[in-house]
Order: sequence, then C-alpha cells, then structure tokens
Amino acid sequence: MDQSSSFEDQLAALLPRLRRFAHSLSRDAADADDLTQATIERALRSRDRWQPGSRLDSWSYRIMRNLWIDTARSRSRKSVHEAPEEEGLNVGKDPRHAMDASIDLDRIMRAMSQLPDEQREVVALILVEGFGYREVSEMLDLPIGTVSSRLVRGRTALLAMVGEQ
Amino acid sequence: MTEDEKLFAWLDGELSPAEAAAMEAKVAADPALAKLAEQHRELDNQLRGAFDPILTAPVPERLQVALKPQAEVIDFAAAKRARAWPSLPQWAAMAATLAIGVLVGDQVPRNGGAPVEVQGGKIYAAGAVDQALDAQLASAPSRDVRIGLTFRGRAGEICRTFSQRAASGLACRNGDRWQVRGLFAAPEGQGADYRMAAGMDPNLASLVDSTMTGDAFDAAQEKAARNKGWR
Repeated sequence: MDQSSSFEDQLAALLPRLRRFAHSLSRDAADADDLTQATIERALRSRDRWQPGSRLDSWSYRIMRNLWIDTARSRSRKSVHEAPEEEGLNVGKDPRHAMDASIDLDRIMRAMSQLPDEQREVVALILVEGFGYREVSEMLDLPIGTVSSRLVRGRTALLAMVGEQ
Repeated sequence: MTEDEKLFAWLDGELSPAEAAAMEAKVAADPALAKLAEQHRELDNQLRGAFDPILTAPVPERLQVALKPQAEVIDFAAAKRARAWPSLPQWAAMAATLAIGVLVGDQVPRNGGAPVEVQGGKIYAAGAVDQALDAQLASAPSRDVRIGLTFRGRAGEICRTFSQRAASGLACRNGDRWQVRGLFAAPEGQGADYRMAAGMDPNLASLVDSTMTGDAFDAAQEKAARNKGWR
C-alpha cells in the first residue's frame, strides 16, 4: 500500500515536468493537457510494469511520447502541412535581433512547433528536459548516433528560424 | 560523430574530458566556431526560458484529480489509515446539516418531489433517490440517480452510495427507510459528468470509509440484498 501511494505521489511530483514535455510535443495547450492526462491514466494502469527503484521520470516520459505518437502524430503532421502561411513567414523574419535582451518566448515556441516531430522530441528531451543522449536513446529506442544527428538538425533549424546568424 | 555533432556534444557536456579539452581548444582558436557555439548556448537558454514557466504554472485541476480520487476510491483501507476523521455520529450530523443548504440551494428538482425529507430530526431519502436506493442496482444504465457502492455499516445495516446531478451521498437502512448519512455537493461549476469521470467525492469516500464494515457487495450480493428487502 505504501508502495502504491508513493507511486502516485511521485507521479504527482512529476506533473509539472510532464506538462512541460507535453507542451513541447503538442502544438496547443489544450492538446498538451489532454496528453498529460492520458499519460497519467496510462501510467496508473500500467504501474505494475514500472520497476520500483528505476527512474519514474524516464518511464513516464516514454509513455507520454508513445501516446503522443499513437494518438496525435497524424494530426500533428497534418497541422505542419497546414500551418498558416503568414505564421511560417513570420518565423525567422522578425526584425528584432535574435539575441535581444527581451527574449521572444513566443517566437521560439513557434519555431519549436515547426520542427519535424522527430527532431522536436529530441530537442525537447535534451535541451528542455535535460536528459542525456544515452537516456534519450534508450527512451526512444534509437541509436545514440541518430539522437545526436537529429539534435544537430533540430538545433540548426531552430537557430535559423529564430535569428540572423 | 561529425564535427557538428561533436560541437553540440561538447556544449551538452557529453564528451569525455579529453575530447572536451580538444574541442575547447578548437573553438578558442576559431572565432566563427566560437560565435556559433555562443549562439547555440543562447538558443538553449531561450528554449529553457520559454518552457520553464510551465514548471511553476498551476497544474490544471483535472490533472490533479486524475491522480487523486482514484487512490481514495480504490483503496479505502489505505485512505482510512491516512486520515483521522471525527467519529461517525458527529460527522454524519455535520454532513446532514450541510446537506440542507445544498438541497435548498440547488437540488430541489423543478418537477416536484424533493430528494430528501426530514422526519423526527432525521433526514430520509425521498422521491427518485428513495426509489433508486430501493430498486436500482449499481449496474443499471445511467439515469437521473446513480447507485455506487452497497455494503454493511457498523450496526449491520445496509448502506448505499448514490449520486444525483452534482451531488452525491450515502444512505443507510433505518427500519424500512433510507436514512441519509451524508450528502455532498460538487465543487462550484462541476457537474455530474465531471464527478463521475473524476471518481467519488473525497468527502463521501471518507464517510464510506468510516461507515463500511467488510467489503463492498459484488453484483450478486447486491442483488440478493435487494431481493431480501435490504435487511
């Protein structure tokens, strides 16, 4: 019983981080919270498959990422292709200098949302969530070289979108 | 690893000490590379700055309830150990007193027939709630009144939880009537559907916990109890 209540407490403690990751993956806040809720529900149902002592955060992130692929990827892909044109044009053409002291958070989030899914998840896990390359390669079942090359492409594209070189 | 990958791995602290030292020397000797590294450092900071506010933003309530009520409903024994509540009589009286306000305020059905009535200082189920408690099984399709758990209380009396619109409660058999032991309104703005999705009201769960002896009835026991007139 103590084990199960601590599972829920630990999951509750992870909620803010899971939401942050959901906001990287999804393109709007409502989708992000739907994804977070689905992740919690799946985690609670699958708790027997979590090994106490192992990292609950990696386990939960993995659930979230897989759910996102299952349920939202087709929609996300679609919305990339259908992204409003003027939005695409705005990104990267903002007259302000990218390294301006007033950081344009909205702009970088929009740039993030324009990355291809497979680059965005790697960028989010490593640069935003702070996981190591090895952890991400295990979480996503990808060779570490693939993680590394997607990270290069994602970052390079982001930098091109948010600022002049 | 390509040179680009190596540069980023260096920024991310993923290189071995020897490789990192070599990369550092290379960046120091190459102004263009140094500028690129600086731009990417700044980009990384911006990215974190953009998403970090989510960490401190309030977590929407629906995400919190997705975690909490489930524990209370599933595991009454653990919930009981975790909480110390007033003993049942005061608690039930308190709940029943609160219930009056709820009923007068929100719950009097427009088509007549209040869900409870007061008799001899006690509150009894009436109308649709009374009928549901008498006849309806938990497995019945959703109607105006839903039945939840059925179990025996401390004096051996049969008790049942019910919900109607945005309120849920507990009633136990007293003679040939259903005495309401507690009735709880959903928090402001949360309708019945929300409640059903979120699980049992935590206050009701506590009352059930302090009332129940043994386990909740399964479907067969529930049916048998009904056939025996809830004795």
